[in-house]
Amino acid sequence: MTFNFKSIRQVFPLLLAIVVLLGLFRIWVPQFLGLENLLDLAQQISVNAILAFGMTLVILIGGIDLSVGAVVALIGTVTVAVLAQRGLALGLLAGFWMAAIFGAINGVCAARTRMPPFIITLATMLVARGVALRFNEGRPLAVPDTERLFLALGNARLFGFLPVPVLLMIVAFAATAVLLHRTRFGQHLYAIGGNREAARFTGIPLARNEVIVYVICSLLAGLAGIIHASQLYSAEPASGQGFELNAIAAVVVGGTSFTGGIGTMRGTLLGAIIIGILDKGLNQAGIHFSLQYIVKGVVVLAAVYLDVRRRKR
Amino acid sequence: MTDAALLTLRGIEKRFGGVIALGGVDFELRAGEIHALLGENGAGKSTLIKILGGIHRPDSGSIFVDGRAVEIEEVTDADKLGIRLIHQELSLAPNLSVAENIFLGREPGRFGLLDHRQLLANAQALIADMGLLEISSVEARVADLSVAQQQLVEIARALSTRARILILDEPTASLSEAETEALFVKLRGLCSQGVGIIYISHRLEEIQRLAHRITVLRDGHSVGTQATAELNQNELIRLMVGRDLKAHYPRPPWKPGAIALTVRNLRNAQVRDVSFELRYGEILGFAGLVGGGRTELARALFGIDPLHGGEILVDGKSATLRCPSDALTAGLALVPEDRKRHGLVMTGSVAFNLALPWTHEWIRGCVPNLQHRSGIVSRAVQSFGIKISDPEQPIGSLSGGNQQKVVVGKWMERPPRILILDEPTRGVDVGAREEMFTIIHRMVQRGMAVILISSDLPEVMNLSHRLAIYRDGRIVREVVAQEITAEEVMAELTRN
Repeated sequence: MTFNFKSIRQVFPLLLAIVVLLGLFRIWVPQFLGLENLLDLAQQISVNAILAFGMTLVILIGGIDLSVGAVVALIGTVTVAVLAQRGLALGLLAGFWMAAIFGAINGVCAARTRMPPFIITLATMLVARGVALRFNEGRPLAVPDTERLFLALGNARLFGFLPVPVLLMIVAFAATAVLLHRTRFGQHLYAIGGNREAARFTGIPLARNEVIVYVICSLLAGLAGIIHASQLYSAEPASGQGFELNAIAAVVVGGTSFTGGIGTMRGTLLGAIIIGILDKGLNQAGIHFSLQYIVKGVVVLAAVYLDVRRRKR
Repeated sequence: MTDAALLTLRGIEKRFGGVIALGGVDFELRAGEIHALLGENGAGKSTLIKILGGIHRPDSGSIFVDGRAVEIEEVTDADKLGIRLIHQELSLAPNLSVAENIFLGREPGRFGLLDHRQLLANAQALIADMGLLEISSVEARVADLSVAQQQLVEIARALSTRARILILDEPTASLSEAETEALFVKLRGLCSQGVGIIYISHRLEEIQRLAHRITVLRDGHSVGTQATAELNQNELIRLMVGRDLKAHYPRPPWKPGAIALTVRNLRNAQVRDVSFELRYGEILGFAGLVGGGRTELARALFGIDPLHGGEILVDGKSATLRCPSDALTAGLALVPEDRKRHGLVMTGSVAFNLALPWTHEWIRGCVPNLQHRSGIVSRAVQSFGIKISDPEQPIGSLSGGNQQKVVVGKWMERPPRILILDEPTRGVDVGAREEMFTIIHRMVQRGMAVILISSDLPEVMNLSHRLAIYRDGRIVREVVAQEITAEEVMAELTRN
């Protein structure tokens, strides 16, 4: 909650990893630390980071949301489809509305039934993907050129400098960090994730908080889907595959415990940056994509291993 | 029964932190004998049998089997010695069949392949051998059997491994009379084959019918072993509770105020028609045996388990307590029995736990007032004498006693009017226990109404003003605590 010595110690290994990675890729890719390249990197990180912020809340209460990748595709598709007919405002409204519905389904099922979140969100992932593919029979929906504002969401630069997706990521970070670290709701999430029963015995409403968390996660996935569609200049019903796994990787590299109750939003931001640097750096260094997967897998395993070992002490 | 000692224990000692569970116990079991182990809650019976089963290791003392000194360091050691422990909670795999359970981990087969036919044949032979007619098919799923049948499966499993020493912990707790009778026949049969049986039960009549000899444990010491024929029930009860009941912790002066809580005909799955009244400034103690359903009553009062019927009135006004926050609003608070499972967020710090119920006071919107928070924390730390080096240290680094003070202290920023304490001194050392009594004292003198659930008979009798004797989900008797003896309470609790 406060920026004391302890919190600096917690993020230090992540900051160190970022510096080391940046230095390493600078050796292979001379232009890696150039301003233009860094801005491009930030832009590439933003979609995953926005997903990871929502995922942090879900994992913090001991849950998981596998549906976010499919929701990215679905919300992109819904928004673009409505947008083409009825304009931007209704498009965004329809998109977020649909995202909220999926979040509510996940949350209500997780809170009110004894089904595990892994299975619930696996099922809603399939449903969301299916609904997305129903639009235009699975073919991409191009964004009309006239929708300047929509295209700006993924591609414009503020003052000719800051990419809009990065701005949206910063806003999403600030909002979720305040929510988690400065509100009653956030305190209650830590309690629920740390010990559900103790939270209940303390009078904290479990179901309501759980539903809200899944809705927030889905809404952020919706935002990511809108940015993603804008970046692609079209809604691709088959896009977003595996996005949930990248988001989970960012969360756990950022130090959030999979058993719940431990984690910070800034850790997740740093985790997303690390995953982003790896993705872009390996790509630019000309490493074959098959090796990129392997390296990323090893990094995730190593990060979580070090984290677990550090906590044990 | 022979006179040869099958199992001998000498000077077994065991402590948990500062708590002495066993202070030098001697015990002897002969081949072909049913030997009952008796004692109050917390007398040390469970610890003793867990040492025999290899679950705990003794701090000192020696164990002899057939006169040979042995070390039981792990469950497998007990296994090799032929010692089988059958717990109160059954340890069967519910989705496997009877046969699979009996031979779990020792399945017949070759090259890692299970020989299913052999398995069934072996199980069938064993069941027939033991005369277990109650188990109709060895292919039945264990989950579909009655509790009594499951118990028999456990026993069959123990015997299939050439058990020589069988330890049964409250095996009849969930059995009907006929099932109990059938079990006794089996146990006597085993004795005649030379198996030694250690039998733990609270039901004195049962023990007098079944056991050859009785050993009574009290406060971690053996107070003697005698042949069953030499003891009557009253003498047994005296041996069990013959503890010094002197006022170690005198109850606070009894100045009952207005009626705080009225409970009428409360019912749910575990609570069977409970009615009582509680006044401000008084302690109502619930005495009973572990597993007698008192925790379930506390949960029902606090809105955790749903009610099937009955009425709760707080200050004479009907209160609907559907969830803990309803109960808290009505002025109740609960200190749960199992602090690690229900009381504390173990991933959090001391301060996190102490400040958790009061987030509405120290966080307004998205502006946490950290000064207010540390005020709440330091007030609790000071007034309850919680020993910490830093409020942000992990709650898990505290001793049991200090953790317990956090569980109580977290409610005291705005003290509740009615406090339910469920086993508030469980697993805390002597010093912290005394401190807990002082805390209870102080709260009652300030007019708080307290429900005290404790399985420690002297504790609940000494501290309470009135006593509700509780068993099987009912209050069987309610008395002024000073007007009843420990022997009478024990007699109520152990009557068949």
